[in-house]
Amino acid sequence: MLFLYTLLFLLLIAVAIFAAPLRCKAWTALGVIAAGALWGIVRAALVLGGGSQPLLWSLPETLFGGDTGSMDLLSALFVIIISVGGVAATLYSRGYLEHTLPQKSTSHVSLHYASLVVMFYAMLGVVCSDGGFSFLFFWELMTVASFLLILYDAQRREVARAALAYLIMMHVGFILLVVGFVRLDAACGTGSFAALADYFREHPAMPLYTVFLLGFGMKAGMFPMHVWLPEAHPAAPSHVSALMSGVMIKTGIYGILRITAALGDLPALHTAGVVLLVAGIVTGVWGVILAATQNDVKRLLAYSSIENIGVILIGVGIAALGKASGNPMVALCGICGALMHTLNHSLFKTLLFFGAGNILSQTHTTSLDNLGGLARHMPLTAILFLAGTVAICALPPLNGFVSELLIYLGLLDGIASGSNILASAAGLAALALIGGAVVLAFTKLYGTVFLGAPRTHEVAEASEVDNTRITAMALPLAGILFIGLFPGMAVGVAARAADFFVRTPADASEWLMGPTLTAAGRTVWLLIAVVGVLLWLRRRLLRTRRITTGPTWGCGFTTTNVRMQYTGESFSEGLQSVARPLTQNSGKGAPVGKGEIFPDAHSFDIGHRDRIGRLFAAWWVELLRLINQRVMQLRTGKINHYILFALAFLALVFLLSILNVI
Amino acid sequence: MALLNTFLLLLAALCIPGLINRTRALLAGRKGIRFAQHLYDVRLLLHKEAVYSTTTTALFRAVPSVYLGAAIVAALLIPTGELTPLLSFDGDLVAFAYLLALGRTALILAAMDTGSSFEGMGASREALYGMLVEPALLLTFGTLALLAGYTSFADIFNDGLPDDVQFIIVLLFAAYVLLKIVFTESGRIPVDDPRTHLELTMIHEVMCLDYCGVDLAYIKMAGWLKTASFAMLAANAAAATFGLRWWVAAPLSVVLTGVAVGVVESTQARNKLARNTTFILTIVALAALLFFTAYLLQLNIAIQ
Repeated sequence: MLFLYTLLFLLLIAVAIFAAPLRCKAWTALGVIAAGALWGIVRAALVLGGGSQPLLWSLPETLFGGDTGSMDLLSALFVIIISVGGVAATLYSRGYLEHTLPQKSTSHVSLHYASLVVMFYAMLGVVCSDGGFSFLFFWELMTVASFLLILYDAQRREVARAALAYLIMMHVGFILLVVGFVRLDAACGTGSFAALADYFREHPAMPLYTVFLLGFGMKAGMFPMHVWLPEAHPAAPSHVSALMSGVMIKTGIYGILRITAALGDLPALHTAGVVLLVAGIVTGVWGVILAATQNDVKRLLAYSSIENIGVILIGVGIAALGKASGNPMVALCGICGALMHTLNHSLFKTLLFFGAGNILSQTHTTSLDNLGGLARHMPLTAILFLAGTVAICALPPLNGFVSELLIYLGLLDGIASGSNILASAAGLAALALIGGAVVLAFTKLYGTVFLGAPRTHEVAEASEVDNTRITAMALPLAGILFIGLFPGMAVGVAARAADFFVRTPADASEWLMGPTLTAAGRTVWLLIAVVGVLLWLRRRLLRTRRITTGPTWGCGFTTTNVRMQYTGESFSEGLQSVARPLTQNSGKGAPVGKGEIFPDAHSFDIGHRDRIGRLFAAWWVELLRLINQRVMQLRTGKINHYILFALAFLALVFLLSILNVI
Repeated sequence: MALLNTFLLLLAALCIPGLINRTRALLAGRKGIRFAQHLYDVRLLLHKEAVYSTTTTALFRAVPSVYLGAAIVAALLIPTGELTPLLSFDGDLVAFAYLLALGRTALILAAMDTGSSFEGMGASREALYGMLVEPALLLTFGTLALLAGYTSFADIFNDGLPDDVQFIIVLLFAAYVLLKIVFTESGRIPVDDPRTHLELTMIHEVMCLDYCGVDLAYIKMAGWLKTASFAMLAANAAAATFGLRWWVAAPLSVVLTGVAVGVVESTQARNKLARNTTFILTIVALAALLFFTAYLLQLNIAIQ
């Protein structure tokens, strides 16, 4: 019945959106999503505040032995993430899609907004479901809705390609999840997450755990299943990228958290911890190095999402190891760090993708090598983007620092207390490397896009975006500032949600992490105060003096021009030389050779692609395509042929049953 | 005690550049500049007018304050010997690394803001070397945490480090790695050359090409503080081998860094740029080796 009601509800919304006038569709969708978000946030606040965890739906008579849906502490945290991300994305979409409205048909726009609403509610359904059939139903609904959302610019060939690749990969993951839930149901009589704990207790845990991990990892963008992310995000409209990268891939993390929490057996938990830690390290390092070599704003952001998934997985991994070795401090820091980073990433990545959307809509390009100097033309976007950059680099005083500090604390405590020393050290070194590389990737992004001088005249004529979009960007910014400046309060919420993973006394988090968070908060405020005093001092010193302006010093060279600025490609050239094995370079033309003293005109274009992506262009894909081509010859389009096929099929079944084959 | 600690660190920050210059002059057989010349230079800078590039934005003007502010707060986390620093909490090792990263990020952005290819070069290199040195730094801190069983500088150096004779080699090794990090982080030969800024091979100096006056003074002071923080950590690790006392650690930090940097700058040439990556990756490898040695030794003692 739930499905009927859900479908009926979504149908009603779709009708409402289709019926609304073109200019009002965004507001209709926003109204519907805001209502859901308000409900979700109030409910989540009640649950996190220690209230009851009511049953949201109960279906005794479905597949997998009955389904229930409820909001527990972990769900509540994810409901908050989804609500904030959903509202911000819809608000942003109004201004972002406005200039495209005349080119699109009305039904096309309606479909887009209806999908947006469906996706939002499907994500809420995913995190509130207790497993089983309703979970798979919402999961699939979410996939299909996001597929439709990516297809907004379907007339562009690469968009259709990326969307199709996304759909296929998501269904491979979906099949793995179906296999997992069917196996669970066959063994325990019910397919809920609660039954998973029983299953892991009574059967060998690792095979089923691996199946689920791969299924959820596909959504989360875990290495090597991340290849869809850098294709889908640049293809989708920016608010959809923000929603997918900030919120949707987190449902994969949600699944991984659920299955890891269900592991009760300590050796199995230890193995899972090592697996997650290694997966996190590889995903993080791979993602960030690829991010640093990209020359397209949205591709860079997509790879950085992969990197952040890696960071979250490192946190979950160390938490599992801490729990397995009976160290509550490590477990609590790891899991709180992972949860906080999930929340934080949803905030700053949403903000950054909105920023990318602003860049795209005002300059019509996202290529780093054509942008530059936007800070002068789009000052508000530049300030907001800078906040996102500082936050994603995990620098104090913003929120990324808080979550990474917690994960580091878990790793360092694992080392200091003598449990899991080597695993923690590996995580520590990897996280440090990731932290450094993120700085490289994002200074490259911010430096070439917003700073310096404009590289093309379109960029030089860009203007600031409308206020709705700025408001939509201010929404995540508020969260970023709050978590960064008052870490104690924010982590308190995550620590309550962490209860699903490691049961500690109520005041344990206060007692274990409280001092560090208070002191970290104080350090952050001190930093702000010191910088403030220094700025004031500088102002005072310069007040009576003459301040002149002039051109940037060209080191004696007088005819500099804007094309001579360091580009994105040249900025990461040093990293390229170190990380060559990871990428596959495609170059057009030839660079200026070392021997050419008086070079003539050269045209050289270089791109860096993921080596893993090449796996999907290997010979077996070609073979599959050829087979497919043959099969397609059967599709003649003539009814008589099809009837003949049906007859042949029946004859085949008849024959096989006579021969006792089936 | 915390105030004495801050005072000593400040003193070390002011003395190290002077000692480096004196060592260089002595080894080259020159009369050289006086010990406090760098202080006079900064005083001069503080009295100058300002010139800004027309390409730059407000970010460019705010960055020196952020850079210096981050270095000040980071320095407040560093203990001198067994003294307690002004700020101390579990995990302050990480806060220290990330505060310095904040400064670095700010300076890289400021360099990109000028739109000059020279400063872009410096920024790109600084970002790469900063990225590569980070794992070495955190692994060294991890080794200290492993040996001491604590995760804050104050606890580690106060009573955490073991006085077992077997660990002397590990602590000296840690001091050596930290000293190597001083070279990269403060832009000294063989990674970078602070004396010139017009060659294409420069890193830190070329990033500040468009700064002058008060802003340049801020950047210089931040550099001293950064060097002193790392030098103090190295001195603490070295001094811990024979009973850590602040009156040993503070002079040791000045002498160790001042003489080491001075000697290297007088006797070695700057690396070719391509070799810098190798140099820094060697530090990372050393840090990994350091961690592993400490781990094995601890395991050995636990078994005994």
